[in-house]
Amino acid sequence: MISVSTKFTNSADIETLAQKLRIEGGPAAKSVRVCIGTGCAAKGSRRLYELFCEAVEQSGQDVKVEAKCVGCHGFCERGPIVVVEPGQIFYQQVEEPDVAEIFRETVMGGRVVERLLYEDPNTGKKAEKADEIDFYKVQERIVLGNNGLIDPTKITDYIAEGGYKALAKVLSSMTPDEVISEVEVAGLRGRGGGGFPTARKWRSCREAKGSTKYVICNGDEGDPGAFMDRSIMEGNPHSVIEGMLIGAYAIGSNQGYIYVRNEYPLAVEHLRMAISQAREFGLLGKNILGSSFSFDIRINRGGGAFVCGESTALMASLEGRSGEPRAKYVHTVESGLLEKPTNLNNVETWANVPAIINRGGKSFAEIGTEKSKGTKVFSLVGKVVNTGLVEVPMGITLRQIIDQIGGGVRDGKSFKAVQTGGPSGGCIPAEHLDARVDFDELTKLGSMMGSGGMIVMDEDTCMVNVAKYFTNFLKEESCGKCTPCREGLAQMFYILDRITDGEGQVGDVERLEGLAELLDGTALCALGKTAANPIISTIRYFRDEYDAHIKEKHCPAKECRGLFRYEIDSEACKACGICMKNCPVDAITGEKKVPHVIDQEKCTLCGTCWEKCPFAAVLKV
Amino acid sequence: MHTLRDLLGKMSVCSGVKSIRKDYPVPTVTIDGCKVRVKKDATILDAARRAGIWIPTLCYHPSVPCDASCRICMVELDRGEWRQLVTACNYPVRRDITVYTSSERAQQARRGVMELLLAKAPESQELKELAKRMGVKETRYPKVTESQRNCILCGLCVQICEHIIGKAAIGFAGRGVDKAVAAPFRQPSEDCIGCGACAAICPVGTIKVRFHEEEKEIEISPFKSRAKMLVCQECGSLIASTPVNEQALTKANLNSEEFRERLRLCPKCRRLKTVAQLGAVTFRKK
Repeated sequence: MISVSTKFTNSADIETLAQKLRIEGGPAAKSVRVCIGTGCAAKGSRRLYELFCEAVEQSGQDVKVEAKCVGCHGFCERGPIVVVEPGQIFYQQVEEPDVAEIFRETVMGGRVVERLLYEDPNTGKKAEKADEIDFYKVQERIVLGNNGLIDPTKITDYIAEGGYKALAKVLSSMTPDEVISEVEVAGLRGRGGGGFPTARKWRSCREAKGSTKYVICNGDEGDPGAFMDRSIMEGNPHSVIEGMLIGAYAIGSNQGYIYVRNEYPLAVEHLRMAISQAREFGLLGKNILGSSFSFDIRINRGGGAFVCGESTALMASLEGRSGEPRAKYVHTVESGLLEKPTNLNNVETWANVPAIINRGGKSFAEIGTEKSKGTKVFSLVGKVVNTGLVEVPMGITLRQIIDQIGGGVRDGKSFKAVQTGGPSGGCIPAEHLDARVDFDELTKLGSMMGSGGMIVMDEDTCMVNVAKYFTNFLKEESCGKCTPCREGLAQMFYILDRITDGEGQVGDVERLEGLAELLDGTALCALGKTAANPIISTIRYFRDEYDAHIKEKHCPAKECRGLFRYEIDSEACKACGICMKNCPVDAITGEKKVPHVIDQEKCTLCGTCWEKCPFAAVLKV
Repeated sequence: MHTLRDLLGKMSVCSGVKSIRKDYPVPTVTIDGCKVRVKKDATILDAARRAGIWIPTLCYHPSVPCDASCRICMVELDRGEWRQLVTACNYPVRRDITVYTSSERAQQARRGVMELLLAKAPESQELKELAKRMGVKETRYPKVTESQRNCILCGLCVQICEHIIGKAAIGFAGRGVDKAVAAPFRQPSEDCIGCGACAAICPVGTIKVRFHEEEKEIEISPFKSRAKMLVCQECGSLIASTPVNEQALTKANLNSEEFRERLRLCPKCRRLKTVAQLGAVTFRKK
């Protein structure tokens, strides 16, 4: 590793260092990259990294091998992931005992350990490299591209992969207006959910009155099941910093803030390191790269309120007040943080900016659909075979994401719906799976792009229960400032709770629709205005399930307790007596060799028999 | 024939416009077909009041910053291709706009909000009266949130205590459905001076002032904060909260012994004493 102590004083310095680093770590260099993204780390990849480090130490001075930890590869389902260079050999589900073998065989011997390769479940073919795997084939990784390559704690890794080249280009040869035009040509839209054209926001902020202006990076990702921004901040923090630097230069700001959830300690740690390294290299601070542009960034940790992802609430929180939104009749680009013009963008939006400058706006705009350009990162979770983090070009169909990348629905069940856009989004049913994923198309379907959560649901998911889950989430997360959100969500939850308890009344659906319309029209912020989307979209596509709950007191997905019965299939029952032994209320009777029977009067529907039956003879009806 | 009020109104409109015309544009608000001109950044509510059009408000008060939290003042703003519901109390007029306050959608929205509020604060007479005026007979919703009895969380009490009285003895506690107005740790506040401003500004009559004759104390309910009362040295009746008096004396710079002497009596006894003193003076002159 090259130790650099000098500050960059002009744009050319970056390229000089990058070249030097690339020669050092040329294609023949040996390295082991261990993923320490959230998923892999949870499966113990930190320990793997330590073991690889030990192995490197023991191998002696003459062999030059580098073990490094890198950000999320996205294929969290198959973690922990280890990639060996040269050859980009992709090992998955690596465990501690495998370390010695990988080191001996692949690193030292150049041979592939077959059993740790990914095997295609359909063809049985083994994949040596990541891009041979279906999960990666359809993806286009612009933002996440470097995630699996660089050590997020080393600025030199980022520079070696072409980092800060865009900043050098901007500061040496572009005016702020040219930067904004480039982003405009690229057609970049806010990745936080709203999809507002980024260039227009930047321009408004640039033109706003006042000399002090702020830029903010919104890293308060809070959607259930979403971890896109987390992976970027943890795996490639410099891309966010570089994006903010370029944006700040374009807008005319000298101070930036990154607002990160406190629940993301690793993201905070990596961002902290990245900022202090960028300062050391003269990439943050006064007169960056010898220009007249000065800029610095501070990190603020959020207190855990979902509503603080809303821009005005976030700014209130930054100012030290309680995180409550305010009316946006005067936009934040005009009067935001401390009543100064403020430009707020999401983590992923900022991370896209260096790529746009490097590729050029035109080439960036070639990816995607007419009105949604570039790629979008989704966290694909739920009842899908390959869960993980995926980056796809806009315009790809939902079916491609779920079937090709996700590998279809788990356990051979049938697909019911996919929930996009987090709690403010909606559920899209099977008949719309061929819809193209872009901002406008998803909105048309009653859902939204959101920040990129994608939850796949199978036939066993009750859609009324899904609506209830999200409504409860929002009710808990509502700041309570405005009446419709605070009271309306509580009322809607009350009705949904009643329906799933089998106490639904005719007219409840209409009551929900009325409240939904009220919230949409009168709530103060976007959280409240969109809060009814999960309800509205499930009513739109799964009205029959609501009706079944209300009129027939039956849950078609057999999820709502009390709205279905347990019965024993007399043909499948082997009369083993396990259910009988486990039933807490002695509702099951039977003798040896005689199929058992559940006394429906006594049964409390606890589901123990269903869980314990080794022959799947207990049925939900 | 013009009434005095009309003339005064016209004068103020003319003079207002003249004084601001130099630097600022004077946007016209067409509100329910009625055209009024207002200063730039005046609100729709200002325009409506100028036009004599009534819009219900609860969390709005001219003396404190506007939070737009109650959402009862929703009106429809013409955006050309579509109409948007906005809150009249804080929507700043920056150019010529057209607003509808009595359109079906605006009324529906306001009534919907009112129904939710009635479910939250079913016992408030003030709220019931306002609902009646808005054409809401009753609410369709049950009471489902229990954070604070009969409080609509408009925040006026919090605002006035902080911004006007300068004490911030109460604030919001909790979040969402658990949000409530309370003194720190829900304990009686030592900062409360017992001025009763919160009770005076409360639009639904939830905050009350109670006098405890025996203890000679004033209590602000439901915060349980108490303050000692000044007691008339003659008749023993309660005059005013002691800390309020202290604050008033300091602010008005009247902290002299002579003035303090006057405050030891209730207005009635003071008057009697003054009369007696005057009588004595007259007697001596004779």
